[in-house]
Amino acid sequence: MNISTRSGLAAVFVLAIAGALGLAQSDESSENSSASAQAQKQDGQRALRTREFLGLGRQPDHQLASKGEKIFGPTCGFCHGADGRGGTGPDLLRSALVLDDDKGELIGPVVQNGRPSRGMPAFSALTEEQVRAIAEFLHMQVELAANRGTYRVQNILTGNAQAGEAYFKGQGKCYTCHSVTGDLAHIASKLSPLDLQAVELYPEARSYDFGGTHPPRQVTVILADGKKFTGSLKHLDDFYVSLEDEQGQYHSIAITKGVKAVVEDRLVFHRKMLDHYSDKQIHDLTAYLVTLK
Amino acid sequence: MKSRPLMLWSLLVLLHGASIAQLLDPHKLLEAEPTDTWPTYNGDYSGRRFSPLAQIRTSNVSGLALTWMYRVKVAAPMRGVTNPEIKSTPLMVKGILYFTIPDHVFAVDARTGRELWHYDWVDQGGHLVGNRGVGMYGDWLYFMAPDGWFISLEARTGKERWRKKVADEKMQYFTTMAPMVVGHHVLIGVGGDAIDVPGFLEARDPQTGELQWRWNTEPRKGEPGSETWPNDAAMEHGGGMTWLPGTYDKDLNLLYWGTGNPNPVTAGQGREGSNLWTCAIVALNPDTGKLVWYFQASPHDTHDWDNVETPVLFDATIDGKPRKLLAQAARNGYFFVLDRTNGKNIISKPFVPLNWSKGVDASGQPIPDKAKEPTVDGSYLTINWGGGTNWMPPSFNPQTGLFYVNATRGYSIVYLTDASDEPEGYGGFGQPLWSQHVLEAIDFRTGNVKWSHVYTTADGTQGGNSGPGVLTTASNLLFTGDYNGNLIAFNATNGDILWHFPALHSLSNGPETYILDGQQYLVAGAGDTLYVFSLVQRRP
Repeated sequence: MNISTRSGLAAVFVLAIAGALGLAQSDESSENSSASAQAQKQDGQRALRTREFLGLGRQPDHQLASKGEKIFGPTCGFCHGADGRGGTGPDLLRSALVLDDDKGELIGPVVQNGRPSRGMPAFSALTEEQVRAIAEFLHMQVELAANRGTYRVQNILTGNAQAGEAYFKGQGKCYTCHSVTGDLAHIASKLSPLDLQAVELYPEARSYDFGGTHPPRQVTVILADGKKFTGSLKHLDDFYVSLEDEQGQYHSIAITKGVKAVVEDRLVFHRKMLDHYSDKQIHDLTAYLVTLK
Repeated sequence: MKSRPLMLWSLLVLLHGASIAQLLDPHKLLEAEPTDTWPTYNGDYSGRRFSPLAQIRTSNVSGLALTWMYRVKVAAPMRGVTNPEIKSTPLMVKGILYFTIPDHVFAVDARTGRELWHYDWVDQGGHLVGNRGVGMYGDWLYFMAPDGWFISLEARTGKERWRKKVADEKMQYFTTMAPMVVGHHVLIGVGGDAIDVPGFLEARDPQTGELQWRWNTEPRKGEPGSETWPNDAAMEHGGGMTWLPGTYDKDLNLLYWGTGNPNPVTAGQGREGSNLWTCAIVALNPDTGKLVWYFQASPHDTHDWDNVETPVLFDATIDGKPRKLLAQAARNGYFFVLDRTNGKNIISKPFVPLNWSKGVDASGQPIPDKAKEPTVDGSYLTINWGGGTNWMPPSFNPQTGLFYVNATRGYSIVYLTDASDEPEGYGGFGQPLWSQHVLEAIDFRTGNVKWSHVYTTADGTQGGNSGPGVLTTASNLLFTGDYNGNLIAFNATNGDILWHFPALHSLSNGPETYILDGQQYLVAGAGDTLYVFSLVQRRP
């Protein structure tokens, strides 16, 4: 559907951004927990879900793994690399023995007896507990490489905030609908840079952790005889449209010849812009938006 | 060249034809377009999913009604996924449907929907992302359990004949393919990309399950193609999975297969080069497993765009000359038409907007744009992160000359999370921004989209992981589904909608059709339920 007036567009864009914020918080019970704690919890859930999907087995113990890291580095790192990814010795993250191991029962004997035929010495002085910690460190390293649910984006703030501001106020035409003291005030304290970079391009971008629930849309259905129904859109496909009108009445209407369903489209301008961004403009804009603390 | 497969078939018939009547006559697999049976994943070896049946027509399709439904009753949710989803295309042989979900095989009476037997596997790992179905040879079925087991069952009883371990789930291999029977070979492929393991395709003996040959999707040290990898370690861990059934030309005796993306998946900096034979279409000799030709759809892929989509085979006249062709709508957004005798390119044209490539080279292979590889701060793509399409079966209708595919248009940002010199695993991820599902009818002569249908939906951005497949018939019908739970029949020539049925879930497999007791049936898997339709009134 087309909303022709500029003021109409501005109003709905505010809604869209607010909707995106609501989305980011809706799944969490503690409204007052900080954005970063929330993000951490979501990250943890994503890692668990992905681990289950991949069938990676039990979750490695962080504490034990960090103990193991301290032993692995000086003991094994010389040949296998400090991260276990290989050096003069093999890459242990891709080792069938490591992947088949659960709690050191396969790794342990190799560490303690060595593999003399392949030039690996025995580390018989290590205690069982130390060997167990080494094994856990390796399982954690596998987790970090194989479980893509654990991946964390690195520094995405490579853009130029000044250029971003210029884009916001100029070529990007963001100012037409948005205001950094209005709808976007303090947006950087509500959204992570990663989420900011997604919603600046498309406010309803589906993040990894939320299944794409959107704020309700308004729909107007016009029947062949000109009769109109307006309300909150419940469902729409090629065959049926359903809505709840202002009185709370539910209507389900077959989309037959002459029936028109016109859905309020608040993001038509965002979609048009999708064909015009460069990587630099995107990064500059993100760098600017993160200043809106 | 021609005599060899025929000799094999004669031998096969001699060996088995003499015993009691078999469930699946081996010749059924060589029939161009079987109508009273659906003997293999794609219905026949061509991958066209085109049926010559015309009892259900544009003029009577509105009378198509539900005959029966069968709902799989297994514990839900399944590990790591949500509810069971039928992605397999059932085989229909002598009035019985054989189909699968991960860990389960079902045999159901095609006339009544009554379950005859159910084989239940307890896995020790592997992904439950999907299972594409069974393969059949005489009285035997073949099934891939998710954790790398290749299993043969007695088709009459569901009793296990034997099982062979073919891939290690601890190395993150997983197995979902519908085994494909060609002559005296059962072809099986593998999946797996969480840990950097190499891909392969195997032929196994139908009777014993023993290995006949194995084709590796990466060359070995010093072999041709190894120059497309920077070092042996990268090549030996280069991915390239083979998880969808291929197609077969009996006259050329060539097997056509699509290979998956290279590993590490989105972090390509440790594997500079084109990374053969990942993300390619390959032609193999089915008796030896030797590579005959290849065409690489995505040299040095860094976007997880497996090129396993069905290589569809058909013949046509181009510039007055009869040609043997192969067409594929690839996940990377390109529509390809090749000469299947030699792999030479005829058409390479995007069927969705995209910016990852700078065009195609002299051989028709897309040239990846280095600037559009994933970056730490995000690289912007004007194509859906999941690709322009996915595994869902397309269809080619020789009468309309159109190739039909459920496509997705979209935008995304791709991030590199492992920026080290030698990354491992995926090493990055993609952020979807906006996407839209659309059914496209592509003219194979030009690569142009002749008509398309954008599925109407309430959301500007559409979700949905399982893709709906496509079936076409000689009566100008196209069957598929949207992402809102509707099964839909289209007019194949112009895209008009002629019929729909609101199912409980969206179509999750490739629909199929066959004739049984003189009646044409339509079968569709949607979520955990199989739906079977026929015309309310039989033909006079």
